[in-house]
Amino acid sequence: MAPSNPLANWQKIGDSFYRKVPLYDAIFDEDVELENYIVAGAPYGGAIALYRDETKPYRLQDAQASRSSIDIYTCSGKQINRINWEQATIRGLGWSDKEELLVVAEDGTVRRYFGLDGEFTSFSLGNGAEEYGVRACQFWASGLVALLSNNQLIAVSKYDEPRPRLLAPCPEGEVSSWSLIPPAHTLSRSVEVLLAVDKTIFLIDSNDAEDKILQDGPFKHVSVSPTGRFVAIFTGEGKLWVVSNDFQNKFSEYDSKSRVPPNTVNWCGDDAVILAWEDEMHLVGPNGVASRYYYDGRFHLIPEFDGVRLMTNDTCEFLHKVAGVTEEIFRFGSSSPASVLLDSVEQLEKKSPKADENIQRIRSSLPTAVDTCIKAAGHEFDAYWQKRLLKAASFGKSVLELYNSDEFVEMAEKLRVLTAARDYHIGLPLSYEQYLRLTPEGLVERLINRHEYLLAIRVSEYLQIPADRIYVHWASQKVKVSTVDDEAVCKLIVQRLEGKPGISFEIIAQAAYDEGRSHLATQLLNHEPRAGKQVPLLLNMEEAELALDKAIESGDNDLVNYVLLHLKSKLPLASFFRMINTRPVASALVETAARGEDTELLKDLFYQDDRPIEGANVLLTEALRETELQRKTEKLHLASRLLSDSKDATVVLHQKLVSEASQLLKVQEALDRDLEDRTEFVGLSLNETVYRLIRAGYGKRAHKMQGEFKIPERTYWWLRLRALVAKRDWGELEELAKTKKSPIGWEPFYNEILGAGNTKLASVFVPKCTNLPVAERIEMWVKCGMIVKAGEEAQKAKDLNTLELLRTRASGPAITEIERMINQMRPRK
Amino acid sequence: MAGSDADHFRDQARRDLLTLLEGARGKKNLVISQELAGPVGLFVKFSVLQEYGVDRVFLLENANVDSSQRNVIFLVRGEKAHQVRTVAEQIKRLQNNGNADHEFSIFLAPRRSLVSNAVLEQVGIIGDVNIAELPLYFMPLEQDILSLELDDAFSDLYLHKDPGCIFLAAKALMGIQQRHGYFPRIVGKGDNARRLADLLLRMRKELDAEESSGLADLSARGLLPSANTENLIIIDRDVDFGTALLTQLTYEGLIDEYVGIQNNQADVDTSIVGPAPAPQSQESSKTPQQAKQGLKRKIQLDASDQLFSQLRDANFAIVGDILNKVARRLETEYESRHTAKTTGELREFVNRLPTYQLEHQSLRVHTNLAEEIMRLTRSETFRKILEVQQNNAAGADPTYQHETIEELIARDVPLKTVLRLLCLESCMSGGLRPRDLENFKRQIAQAYGHQHLLTFWALEKMELLQPRSSATAMLLPSAGGQAGTKTNYGFLRKNLRLVIEEVSEKDPDDISYVYSGFAPLSVRLVQCVLQKPYILSLIKGGTPASSVNTASTASPGWLGFEDLVKSARGPTFSLVQKGDDKAVRARQTLSGNNATKTVYVLFLGGITFTEIAALRFIAAQEAPRRKIVICTTGIVSGDRMMDAAIEQGSFAKSE
Repeated sequence: MAPSNPLANWQKIGDSFYRKVPLYDAIFDEDVELENYIVAGAPYGGAIALYRDETKPYRLQDAQASRSSIDIYTCSGKQINRINWEQATIRGLGWSDKEELLVVAEDGTVRRYFGLDGEFTSFSLGNGAEEYGVRACQFWASGLVALLSNNQLIAVSKYDEPRPRLLAPCPEGEVSSWSLIPPAHTLSRSVEVLLAVDKTIFLIDSNDAEDKILQDGPFKHVSVSPTGRFVAIFTGEGKLWVVSNDFQNKFSEYDSKSRVPPNTVNWCGDDAVILAWEDEMHLVGPNGVASRYYYDGRFHLIPEFDGVRLMTNDTCEFLHKVAGVTEEIFRFGSSSPASVLLDSVEQLEKKSPKADENIQRIRSSLPTAVDTCIKAAGHEFDAYWQKRLLKAASFGKSVLELYNSDEFVEMAEKLRVLTAARDYHIGLPLSYEQYLRLTPEGLVERLINRHEYLLAIRVSEYLQIPADRIYVHWASQKVKVSTVDDEAVCKLIVQRLEGKPGISFEIIAQAAYDEGRSHLATQLLNHEPRAGKQVPLLLNMEEAELALDKAIESGDNDLVNYVLLHLKSKLPLASFFRMINTRPVASALVETAARGEDTELLKDLFYQDDRPIEGANVLLTEALRETELQRKTEKLHLASRLLSDSKDATVVLHQKLVSEASQLLKVQEALDRDLEDRTEFVGLSLNETVYRLIRAGYGKRAHKMQGEFKIPERTYWWLRLRALVAKRDWGELEELAKTKKSPIGWEPFYNEILGAGNTKLASVFVPKCTNLPVAERIEMWVKCGMIVKAGEEAQKAKDLNTLELLRTRASGPAITEIERMINQMRPRK
Repeated sequence: MAGSDADHFRDQARRDLLTLLEGARGKKNLVISQELAGPVGLFVKFSVLQEYGVDRVFLLENANVDSSQRNVIFLVRGEKAHQVRTVAEQIKRLQNNGNADHEFSIFLAPRRSLVSNAVLEQVGIIGDVNIAELPLYFMPLEQDILSLELDDAFSDLYLHKDPGCIFLAAKALMGIQQRHGYFPRIVGKGDNARRLADLLLRMRKELDAEESSGLADLSARGLLPSANTENLIIIDRDVDFGTALLTQLTYEGLIDEYVGIQNNQADVDTSIVGPAPAPQSQESSKTPQQAKQGLKRKIQLDASDQLFSQLRDANFAIVGDILNKVARRLETEYESRHTAKTTGELREFVNRLPTYQLEHQSLRVHTNLAEEIMRLTRSETFRKILEVQQNNAAGADPTYQHETIEELIARDVPLKTVLRLLCLESCMSGGLRPRDLENFKRQIAQAYGHQHLLTFWALEKMELLQPRSSATAMLLPSAGGQAGTKTNYGFLRKNLRLVIEEVSEKDPDDISYVYSGFAPLSVRLVQCVLQKPYILSLIKGGTPASSVNTASTASPGWLGFEDLVKSARGPTFSLVQKGDDKAVRARQTLSGNNATKTVYVLFLGGITFTEIAALRFIAAQEAPRRKIVICTTGIVSGDRMMDAAIEQGSFAKSE
């Protein structure tokens, strides 16, 4: 094979070169009249969608045939799919980064076709799209902006959960052209739009529309460069301006000398702009230098970030700026080290000593020369020159003593993958830069979409990246197309995927289910190791019970709750209860959820389960929530009745206490009515009620309540004591002191009264605490400030030491008293 | 491995949150649910949030978010359907009444759940909001404590029997495993612990299944058991309810009992600790005394406070001593300025001044706090309560305590306190006599309101307060039989020496110092795994040497104690997670075997500060061979356990 001339198709524009690389030929059939089609190409050498342009006249015979479909081709012209389109007129056709085809209809419906298989999801733009109609659409890597006929703009920034959002309202006027700036290149980090209205251009973001105040409109074209730094605008006078993105600086101007505005204005990389008419193209570089190309027929432009693809019926070409490294090597008369190195390979093959001379000459810069050759190999599309350059690099590094060959190896790997992908069978003409951006995983994804499983697996293995998605996709496809019986398919799939890590059988099962093969789906699901993953599908398949079990097995509450939510709405209550009955986790979760929201459900549940206490408790809770006293008592009665049948001791007690509660409420209500006191008794506890009654001086009523509710004597005494102390009713307390016996002893009286600060009264109780040891009683006297009494106590106990101690604490006349006692105690001398 | 787990999880949480905040451009209002507000404070400061455009922070529960910003962000727990519902309502409200056009985001922690999706779908706003996940699992309370900070974990597990937090704990532990490799061994006790271990095994299997086939991938590391982890010990709270019901007697424990510690912070009355220090000490003289009654001041209680680090785990009995000592040291240090002769010495003093002032401040706070607690512990009721507890813990006949409890009821001490005592008795002696229980039920209903019938029901459901089924069942150590349904404290008290009377509070040689003579069973169980020789010497009697012969730790898991631990509730297990043998051996030869190994101790259902103190005590003994990292679903205390059960409603007509 004769080597192609590396300089073929180079074109000098200003200081740099551009070249057109022929990628494929004989693309489309002759009868596809490209000029009548709207063409949209996916980025990174992706698929091309063709749709018959409805504004173009039809030839009579094929009017029906091509009318209602979108055709998807590879870049090499292989048809991948045909999508029938019977919806409203298409107003936008575009691709996302992930090779999803987006079709926007006039009525605002957006369909997202993923996987090139014709499967789609759809959503509506809303926001008035239906009334006004979509006029045009523009797309970026992960979103789109639609222009309505009322000049409103609607942006969608992601497709997984599309949220169409209105941008700021636009000024009235005739929109002559527009362009979007992707979020990655704007300051606001959300999409912005340049809208050429009348004589000026507006920059519109989500908040406001900023007039850029230009005079030279109407602008027939506006286009933003791939990096978002420059804007190309085409004026009504046929001039192309390149300005900075803030419209402050004008970098160049080019006069196309054409009165007809071009069909498209597109950037080629970040340095050049392409003006394209039907069959003529101007490539305008910096400073308005331009070069012209002519075609035989209509051609279409598909922009990439590093160049453009040019499609005609016959050819697919890639026009891009020649990379620096390539230029350095191949440029006429280049004497750069890398160029010399390439030359030496030739000399070497001729066995000429010049090879060595060359090497010696560039010795000092040999490492960079090698690097350059490796890089240039990447940018080359022709296998011959790739090999040549790598050979040069290889030769060069063999001379070097120390050289890290990683880059060389990686480049060889990448080129192998690229060559495979560029093959016309596959039709993915990726440039090296595009491949880096697409990533190997992205490439594998695209191969999967094209059902190129074998190549995808080879690439995965070669690059050591996960291959599970490939297998899963393959299996799903198998499930869809195979006609043999379920067992055989399942066996085949399981056999093929055995031992492969990370296989999601759930996805395959879903595919089977979608095909209506639910038996196969169940079989496949059994091979899914992740219990949680099986649940949603099982639910869809109406395998409710199994879904519930799997959800519980997974231990994930959320899943269980989700299934329960689903079941509750689907099943009759009785069977729902039956299902959760045998599953404690499920019934616990149902109970917990119902406690907050649906107490009726709880009552039913407890009734069916024969759990009277819990049923009564629900009523009790309701009684607490009621605000009307009447309703409270009603609920309590209901609860009490629910419990009245049982003989079980716990239930009986429960019932008694529930009735006691309503009895108490009744009494309290009466109290509230009778007593003019401001206290509200309703809602207080029994003890609290009694306590407050005593404190307010209604001792009799309190006493009556004690009898009515059988309050233990000890408790009652405590309540009385505390209430009287709080009331500072010293008289009543003194009366009490005259009682012979107290069920709680007298010490509490002493403590409480002392705590309230009445030492005198407290002291009354000291002698009554007969069961306490002397020492403690002495301390009690002391705390009341009655040293003498304490002394007497000590004297009785014949405790001299304590007396001595007391003397130190005494003051005033008490000292003499104590001393007298001490003297009495002292043995007579 | 670089960085401790605590730092790792803190950084990760911070990064995740800030990245999400950055996703919403411009200024924004942040609405956060109450139970997340505290935890978020653990890893990011408000000033940082401000740097990321947060204008104002609202609490979800206050429902007062306004339209002052276009961007409104909600941060709630995705597992809690009712929180998500509240969010939906508030969004609806803003959408309907506001003339402003809002941009809503909902961050769901720790994950976006199907149920929350369903809720948002039901309300019809799922299309109008940005929804993102904030994977918050373990949050570091301290360098050695990782907590899920789930306030409801205790009630969910034992009252509602809702295993949600087990799943979250498993996810969180997977996070640790993915960082360090698999726990070579999982040891545990209790039903829920077992469930957690099973989940871990299952998740590992699932992860293996998902493991990419890529060979050079970093995550392939996860296939191996970890080399620097010894094991994971899981203790189910219900194995030992008893310990948690006792009044905690360490400093930090007592603060928690009386003031309450939430996310390392305590709200203390300013009348106790004085108002927050003014930012500039010079200006403080100008500010008028604003120490109004009832004003609360937030006190940060963590290792950043050096003094607190010294105090927190000490028995309260010696806290006064420590405070005195520190006060004297500060005094002399401060006086040293007079002796400073050369300018160099003076400069050194001045350099130390800021730390000195900080220490002084903290000293003042803690002295005041300690005094307040001292006042409370000297009260008559405290003495009585403690007496009942200690008698129960020591195994004395509980019926002798009933009179005291009745008195406490009549005196209207807080219901929690009474219930704790009853539950303690029930746990320690296998239930109350039915007649006694009935009696108490009646008295409490009368004293505190009949709504507490519901409280009793809840306590019974949690198996905290039960009638004794048969008098003899508890006396037998359930040797041989299947796993017990109740913990036999009587048996374990004797055989694991839970009660050690002569423990020194000042210079402790056993973990029992934390309860002044009672060793928490939960931590004893951990010792059965980690400190076998010590426990053996305890059992054999003879005074245990404090520095245990640490050489022989060969027997892993429960080995040697299987029969003993059977008497505690729930299944006992010890699982080995094996990896590829060759790889393990290869790494062993590579890394050697003398490095510090980490032990993860997970308390499912919550841990008390006293137990943390006890575990730290063990950790100090085991250093440097072992490092103990304490993991938990949250901090509990007896009061919090009671709160889970106590019915809040009353029969009053309306609030």
